[in-house]
Amino acid sequence: MAKRPQLMAYATLSLISAYCALPFFWAALASFDGNASLFLKWPEDWTTANYTRIFTVENGLTWFMNSLIVVGAATVLTMVLGGLGGYALSRSNAWWKRPFLYTILLIRVVPPPALIVPLYKVLLTANRAVQEVLRAVLPPDMLRPAMRVFGLVDGYLGMILILTALQLPLALWILKTFFDTVSRDYDEAALLDGASLMQRIRLVLLPLALPGLAAAGLFAFISAWGDFLMPLIFISSPELQMLPLGLFRAFLRVNTVDWGFLTALAVLYMVPSVVAFGFARGFLVRTFGGGVKG
Amino acid sequence: MTGLQLTNLSKSYGGHRVIHDASLTVHPGEFVVFVGPSGCGKSTLLRMIAGLEEITSGSLQIGGQVMNDVNPAERGVGMVFQSYALYPHMTVAQNMGFSLRVAGKPPAEIAARVAEVAQTLQLTPLLDRRPAALSGGQRQRVAIGRAILRRPKVFLFDEPLSNLDAELRVTMRIEIARLHRQLGATVVYVTHDQTEAMTLATRIVVLRAGRIEQVGAPLDLYHDPANTFVAGFIGSPRMNLIPAEVLGVSAAGLDLALTGLDARVTVPGRAAVGDRVTLGLRPEDFDPLGAAELTLEVDVVEHLGAESFAYARGGDLTLILSARGVPEVKPGQGCTARFDPARALLFDASGQRLRP
Ligand SMILES: Nc1ncnc2c1ncn2[C@@H]1O[C@H](COP(=O)(O)OP(=O)(O)OP(=O)(O)O)[C@@H](O)[C@H]1O
Ligand SMILES: [Mg+2]
Repeated sequence: MAKRPQLMAYATLSLISAYCALPFFWAALASFDGNASLFLKWPEDWTTANYTRIFTVENGLTWFMNSLIVVGAATVLTMVLGGLGGYALSRSNAWWKRPFLYTILLIRVVPPPALIVPLYKVLLTANRAVQEVLRAVLPPDMLRPAMRVFGLVDGYLGMILILTALQLPLALWILKTFFDTVSRDYDEAALLDGASLMQRIRLVLLPLALPGLAAAGLFAFISAWGDFLMPLIFISSPELQMLPLGLFRAFLRVNTVDWGFLTALAVLYMVPSVVAFGFARGFLVRTFGGGVKG
Repeated sequence: MTGLQLTNLSKSYGGHRVIHDASLTVHPGEFVVFVGPSGCGKSTLLRMIAGLEEITSGSLQIGGQVMNDVNPAERGVGMVFQSYALYPHMTVAQNMGFSLRVAGKPPAEIAARVAEVAQTLQLTPLLDRRPAALSGGQRQRVAIGRAILRRPKVFLFDEPLSNLDAELRVTMRIEIARLHRQLGATVVYVTHDQTEAMTLATRIVVLRAGRIEQVGAPLDLYHDPANTFVAGFIGSPRMNLIPAEVLGVSAAGLDLALTGLDARVTVPGRAAVGDRVTLGLRPEDFDPLGAAELTLEVDVVEHLGAESFAYARGGDLTLILSARGVPEVKPGQGCTARFDPARALLFDASGQRLRP
């Protein structure tokens, strides 16, 4: 009796998932096809040439590592600042708490292209100051490489800070809301147990906050990884090129549409997000219960 | 052993005062219970002692030392939270040993102390479990164990039994009384359950709206309440409070008209003619041989097994009588309730006790 509708539901769901999964399946197959086309087909000529080309002919490894460093650092920074800030925002009773929370959300509402001109202006000025400081403390031949790391325009640090700033509002909201659900009694019990602030954070709050941190970190990573606009505007040196732009420029250089090469790029670009999701999933579901009641 | 000294302790949130000049001495080894209705400031006062709530004014001494601005961990107090607040990601053993761990004690010493406390609380088989895998009573014992492990001089409990079912509450109540005897420590215990207060306390502190109404041994408060609030709060079922007017004063005492009941009684006491007073009678004060007499209509009789209580109406007042003191009570029938006027308590118009 209840079997038939259930069967229908499963059939419908399977159809929808197949429809959604098909493009990914096509991309994965085509990237290994020496003679790929726009149609889904089983490769006759299995090859990894498309991938080798990204890493040998193009600077695939550099782009990949640059993206990983910048996005990874931005994610970690977002989690640290979001965790501490979210905790503070959850526990504080300050009058400016609500206005602050809505203001940072408003920053997210402004489309990023509208931010570019003022952001560029601010960072360029700050970049000059950084350059002056580095010039004063470093030998001249060290200046170039140092600016590549600490430069605010066309440097790792600038890119990391921009991406962090863009991801932080959402992370603060997620973690503030998460900490609202973590009873204050834990803080107070640990305080009475004689734990210092660092011990409370490390031994009590951090383990309890893992699901919230995982969620915030995952969103930050995926969103920063997919960001195209900021690397386009703020990175110009080829050796600092990040994956999305590298891929885009490589795409522009090819005259004919080479499906195998393009899908290999797409698959490569997708992998870190999938890995990040798989990694965070374990933490997302690890919520602890039973510590407080009532 | 350590005592506590609260001197004119006050607490305000913004401009709003929630504790008014609380003064109290807790002697070493005493079991003091704060009772009062919800929102009267019991938790706030306890948290001020623990150091979780700032003291707005007044002074707090623990063991003779002023502790107003001392770190909670350094006050020598251990607290058991209403919510237990067990760290959910740690095992029972890790929960109990946490204070020693953050103090940097060697693992062997921590394990030994945890094992010793687990023994007294019958927690040994549960040491490797997480809080989520424990029953309410077991969590409660772990929370107590965690507090004991720090060897505090003063234990603070905030409604520790309110999340347990009735049967377990009685068991844990006995357990806590036993621990108090065994450890000999000073205890300050918050509850809104007056039975818990009566059974556990060496002294009860009754709070109302942020003020201490009366402090005394359980039976002293029961037999000799200072005002109508304490009289009504302590004792279950509650004391009957009957409004009355003084019609005459004679050598035999006061001639009272009981306003709601349309009855007249003479009770010993001192007041002036025309005063509005309140007559307090406990359900067990009714007695077939008493000299005073009330005519009532019985509504309901509740049989609790060992005892039965009758809810009887006279005018617009409902009185609670112990059925033992009133012959032949049947629901829906009239009855004559007699009591000894000497047992009645008198309170003035503002609720303060009028002692003979
Ligand atoms: N953070 C706060 N800000 C403002 N008022 C507060 C705050 N905390 C408590 N109060 C007020 O202080 C009063 C006393 O609260 P408290 O929690 O001490 O009551 P309680 O006697 O423990 O009640 P209960 O039996 O319900 O636990 C209440 O009126 C409450 O509204
Ligand atoms: Mg309370």
